[in-house]
Amino acid sequence: MPIDTHCARYRDSLDARLDGELLPDESRDLDNHLATCASCAREYATLTDTHRLVSENLMRYAAPDVLKARIRGALSETAARATPKHIRTPWWRLAAAGVVIAMASSALTFATLGRSAGSNVTDELLASHVRSLQPGHLTDVVSTNQHNVKPWFNGRVDVSPSVPNLDSLGFPLVGGRTDYVGGRAVPVTVYARRQHMINVYAWPSGDEGDARPRESTRNGYHFVEWRSAGLEYRAVSDLNPKELDQFVAAFSNAR
Amino acid sequence: MTQGDVQRFERVVLPHLDDAYTLARYLLRDEHDAQDAVQEAALRAFRYFDGYSGGDARAWLLAIVRNCALNSRRRNRVEEQTVSFTDAIDVSADGVPGADAVAIQASERARVNRAVNELPVEFREVVVLRELQDLSYKEIGDVLGVPIGTVMSRLARARRRLATLLGADVREAS
Repeated sequence: MPIDTHCARYRDSLDARLDGELLPDESRDLDNHLATCASCAREYATLTDTHRLVSENLMRYAAPDVLKARIRGALSETAARATPKHIRTPWWRLAAAGVVIAMASSALTFATLGRSAGSNVTDELLASHVRSLQPGHLTDVVSTNQHNVKPWFNGRVDVSPSVPNLDSLGFPLVGGRTDYVGGRAVPVTVYARRQHMINVYAWPSGDEGDARPRESTRNGYHFVEWRSAGLEYRAVSDLNPKELDQFVAAFSNAR
Repeated sequence: MTQGDVQRFERVVLPHLDDAYTLARYLLRDEHDAQDAVQEAALRAFRYFDGYSGGDARAWLLAIVRNCALNSRRRNRVEEQTVSFTDAIDVSADGVPGADAVAIQASERARVNRAVNELPVEFREVVVLRELQDLSYKEIGDVLGVPIGTVMSRLARARRRLATLLGADVREAS
């Protein structure tokens, strides 16, 4: 049935009436029309029902805790990076930076002087982990999606580490970067647990066969090493040993 | 920027993170992409926080989220592959004898969500902003960067499409 021009004028304001966007006298005028026009009234009823059905049933999503943690972490990184422009760097920040430089350079010295493996690598990993926590050093590629992180390593390093999705276990993926350990570029995958960061390093192993996780501690940081599918893995974090073990178990079981 | 700026930002903007994430979920239809888009948007918002004049923080954040999500769609060359709506309906409440209210409610929910997700993105976003997030026409116009007249015509067309898609369940006007 064609709508006469009289009705057409009202048809355009049905949604606005429904959404409370009409002025009071526009509303009154429309309501008077609806009371006398069955066709427009039917159209308005259909709209009202659709509106109700959709607004009552459409899913709302809560931002995951992981996302909130990542945002808070990134915000304080950004703020810290911007700080020197605005205020004078406080002495303790300089002192902290000095410590990092001292640690990094001592790691370097160890690496170049002694070649007795083992502890050198641990020193380098420690320096790399501490450096990674400085603003802007944690990740080169930021993504919660392992399908973005894994390909990112291609062409940057010559190994393809496992990058499992451990979201559901409370270890969200934060991203990845490359770093130098033992004189070679290695892929580093970064996971989070609450405010704690976990760096996972990987490089080709000289030994065949898998090795079960082994823990150690240095300067208050926890290390776990294991071997899987021809790769040496090292996880470094300030997370407590128990949860770090859980992480490593989940990581090495995930395929 | 100082820790004080971070705190002010966290107080003013972060309460709207659920809405931001919801909009991104509907625009991108993927939880990981939505998370990445919201994170990018939050950082961008933080960088521009100086320029935020103290108006509606939610609409301001949603506008940035929308930009990030649309950029992400362009990067990933998202093609709207739409599931045929009729094929997608697997449970019909009428067809289940004695189905309890919960099941009906669940299937209703699924039907509505499928219908909305099947809309073209420019309809989907006005529906989410209006029906779910209860923004005024003016606020929706601000988020989309279009005049109120455009908001009205898109919303009207979106609702009529939904009315057709969901037709079976809209009661006959007496």
